[in-house]
Amino acid sequence: MALFKRELAMLRDVLQSCGSSAVRTAFALRNLCKPPDSLMIAFYRIGFFALLMALWQVAATRMGTNVLPSPLATWRAAQTLVGEGQLIVAIGDSLTVYLSGFAIAIIVGVPLGVVMGGFRVLGKTLEVYVFALAATPRVAFIPLIIVLLGLGVEAKTFIVFLGALMPILINAYAGVLAADEELLEMARSVGTPRGRIFTSIVLPGAVPFVIVGLRIGATIGLINTVVAELYTAVRGLGGLLAIYGNTFRMAEYFVVVLTLATVGVIVTESLRYIEARVSRWRDV
Amino acid sequence: MMSAGDPVERSGDAEVRVVLDRVCKSFAPAGGGDRVSALQDASLSVGSGKFLALLGPSGCGKTTLLRLVDGLIQPDSGTVHVFGAPPRPGPDIGFVFQSFRLIPWAKVTRNVDFSLRDLGLTAAEREERTRRVIKMVGLTRFANAYPATLSGGMKQRVALARALAPEPKVLLMDEPFASIDAQTRELMQIELMRIWTRRRPAVLFVTHSVDEAIILADEIALMGPSPGKVIETVPVDLERPRWTYDARAEPRYVELRKHLSSRMRQFVLSDPASEFFGRDLVQPDGMGS
Repeated sequence: MALFKRELAMLRDVLQSCGSSAVRTAFALRNLCKPPDSLMIAFYRIGFFALLMALWQVAATRMGTNVLPSPLATWRAAQTLVGEGQLIVAIGDSLTVYLSGFAIAIIVGVPLGVVMGGFRVLGKTLEVYVFALAATPRVAFIPLIIVLLGLGVEAKTFIVFLGALMPILINAYAGVLAADEELLEMARSVGTPRGRIFTSIVLPGAVPFVIVGLRIGATIGLINTVVAELYTAVRGLGGLLAIYGNTFRMAEYFVVVLTLATVGVIVTESLRYIEARVSRWRDV
Repeated sequence: MMSAGDPVERSGDAEVRVVLDRVCKSFAPAGGGDRVSALQDASLSVGSGKFLALLGPSGCGKTTLLRLVDGLIQPDSGTVHVFGAPPRPGPDIGFVFQSFRLIPWAKVTRNVDFSLRDLGLTAAEREERTRRVIKMVGLTRFANAYPATLSGGMKQRVALARALAPEPKVLLMDEPFASIDAQTRELMQIELMRIWTRRRPAVLFVTHSVDEAIILADEIALMGPSPGKVIETVPVDLERPRWTYDARAEPRYVELRKHLSSRMRQFVLSDPASEFFGRDLVQPDGMGS
């Protein structure tokens, strides 16, 4: 029960990434199921965390700590890694790549999607290529990127950018296209000029779509950060992952995995918070 | 039985705000195929300060007619004149839609203000006008509410306030109370009458309710389907204000109601596009035309 809303949110993400028509259905789903009580949910979450820890401990003892380190061993490894500084440096490297790639993807993707939606001919012309690029596994471009940009920060940032760009662009485009026809006619009947219709009806209506795009883009961007760090110069959290994984230092390896999970949660939760702020009118 | 005024003849009248003369409009169906005729040779006129109800079963082009009068779409042939010229959407013509069409992320005040934004008014003037129309529709307490928190009747008041804010001389209403419950609808009708009595715009009010048409209108234009056209215009000579007495009990009301209901029924039964086409449905006593 405690996880139900989260499951629903995940389901909504999946639906939304499938296409714009699913968005409305998914929002309706969310509204059907209001969370019972935030305190209760917090309680359930802590309970579930304890359960996970217990399962982890059991699994570690059964499988042997060489394969699966115990929670305690992982905690000690975390203290060492933080104390010696590698982890902080790695987080710094990864975040630099991740956030700059993501930021460039926003700066390029949102305006491009909006312009494609605003000028139908342009949108219709380009959308085939955008969808084709979105369907191509971006990993396929990595050798080319290495040839062009080398193994450094630029190449890594570009790989993140390429991954995050597509969902951001496609959702911004879909958001503009999904503008409410009835509101558009209302605005025309009032005598609102075209430009003002775009800024006061079309763009605000696209905001929820854009934020969904940012959330999907943030997730893919983080994946691509790790991929980039594995394929190009081995650095950052992805680099540590490779080093500890290859040398079977499983406790340290787990620390890195958990760090990545934490970064992902922080970023997507921040975006979820922004979404809630922006769409306050929906829930009142 | 009823006097059917000839709209073309009266269109020379300086007092006439809206004139349609033999207007035709057809649409290409979304799936391809032959164009569907929505209106054929529709003619009517509305005088200054007059309340005209467009009464007809669904699918007889009532909404198309309103959109033509607002200038949102252009006729295939015939002329549409508002204030003596082809209409353009703007502050002189207000439009109230059945589906409210409020901006969901804007509060009531901003929704009403939306129709004032491009009139060249100062911020203070806009604020004053917005406040005044919101008061007129009785929503002062809800000025800072989002549409999602309002009931259907309240939403339609906001839409009405938005349409009235620019002080239009012609007000188009497309089944504005059709999605509002019966109790609220009756009160909204009185409210509309009060406002109309004060402001006196020329009103074109689309409805498929015979009672609503008789209670509200000076004149009823009866429209028939397939293709849509104005069949006859019927004056409603019941004393105003009609909310101060039981108009429904007047013999004249009953007479009008009988006539209009039976014509409406005929249209539906003889319309090949209707699900009731050719059905032998028994008419109540005295309902034959």
